Amino acid sequence: MVPAALEALGLRLCGYLQAQWGEPVALAGIEQIPGGASRETYRVRLDLRGLERVVILRRDPKTSLIDTERAHEYRTYEAAFRAGLPVPEPLFLEEDPSWLERPFSVMAEIADCSSRVADLAGDEQAEVRARVGAEKWALLGRLAAMDPHALGVTSFMPVPEHPAARELEYWAGVIDADALHPQPVAAAAIRWLRAHLPPPSDRLALVHGDYRSGNFLFAPDGSIKGVLDWEMAHVGDPLEDLAWSLDPLWPWPDRHLAGGLLPREEAIALWEQASGMRVDREAFRWWQVFASLKGLAIWISSTEDFAHGESKEPILAVAGWVMTDRQNRILVDRLHPDAPARYAEPLL
Amino acid sequence: MIPQASRSLADLAMKLAGDIAPATQTEYAAANAGLMAMLLLALAQEQERAAAVRMLDIDEMKLLFRAAQDQHPDAPGAGQRASYCEREPKSLLISDLDRFHAEGLEALIGLHAWVDEEDAALDRAIWDFLLHHTERHKFELPPL
Repeated sequence: MVPAALEALGLRLCGYLQAQWGEPVALAGIEQIPGGASRETYRVRLDLRGLERVVILRRDPKTSLIDTERAHEYRTYEAAFRAGLPVPEPLFLEEDPSWLERPFSVMAEIADCSSRVADLAGDEQAEVRARVGAEKWALLGRLAAMDPHALGVTSFMPVPEHPAARELEYWAGVIDADALHPQPVAAAAIRWLRAHLPPPSDRLALVHGDYRSGNFLFAPDGSIKGVLDWEMAHVGDPLEDLAWSLDPLWPWPDRHLAGGLLPREEAIALWEQASGMRVDREAFRWWQVFASLKGLAIWISSTEDFAHGESKEPILAVAGWVMTDRQNRILVDRLHPDAPARYAEPLL
Repeated sequence: MIPQASRSLADLAMKLAGDIAPATQTEYAAANAGLMAMLLLALAQEQERAAAVRMLDIDEMKLLFRAAQDQHPDAPGAGQRASYCEREPKSLLISDLDRFHAEGLEALIGLHAWVDEEDAALDRAIWDFLLHHTERHKFELPPL
């Protein structure tokens, strides 16, 4: 049974789609999808004169894990879709809150896929797991090789002179603004990152910003059909996405397979092959530490949202307690003079 | 009163994860029930140790501040650290411990920034503290 409030939301969406498409749209079903804490996400089944169509509704939450602009994300989806990257087809962006109380976007559903990499952990799934991993990092390499100007994203994304410096100061600012308790590990990491800043990047790319297991959809055969959650996308250094994808947090506590999929070096080799670039190991050390700091900043920010915001989504509290703890341990592990390597592989 | 609040919280977490989450009607409800079970387990651990880990942090920070005072009496923030070493939390309420703990961590951040450049041994001692600090505050959670 669909709760009344959920059904009312579905009916209002049908009204909107009817106005856009100029034909009758009836509600066949609606359910909220977990995850995607930056937007409320719903799977909506529509009846179009007897034909079923399924769309994904993403509505702004009252408060969010990540404060981002919906138009920015939607236009990134449009650019990625035009370029032939596997992403859901963007259908509508509506910023007028009169329709659904808050702004929202609508996308086509990618059917019969999963985002649950944890389900591939068993030996019997080894082949599918390896294919997902191979596609994951080859796809990321392909994205790194694309010219962001040709993709069209530089018309709405700034092009930084020094991506590493810009990203560091942005996320340091988030920690400064949102921390509810002093953060000695974050402070030490920020000092280390400022002291070891790499030179400006040789090549710029469209950086997804949250490229990790859980943010893409794969078919039962292991082929990736959709990369999701582009709300943190920006123009920057392609090493940023690679380092983020390899952070030890994602496969926690088993860090032997990056993202729960492939050995780290194999993932890097796939990325290098697809991107045509060699990983600058010195710069990559910096991006690995940065990835863990950025993660910590997001968890700290979500703590603040949970404590002071309207949304009491459990994911915000989990991020604030559990993820903050793990990311702190990863950072200490990486920056302690002995680099104990209890929670993270030694820096590459 | 039921003694061992942490045990009760952990029992409730297992009930939520084992019985209630699988019986929910939607993927969204099941996922959130699982997350809440994880949080209850974390909070159970925090409830048991909250005062102890804060006091251990405070005691170890005072040792670091006294070492800094002995070796670098004129270093920035020396007065603030000396004052901290002479005081105790107002009470054993977690809110009072948190306030005093936060004050110590702020002083520690300042000291760490200074010794980064000035004193390798003290820098290492602070990193050792951060290692102990993060280990003390970690959550041990089974897969749910």
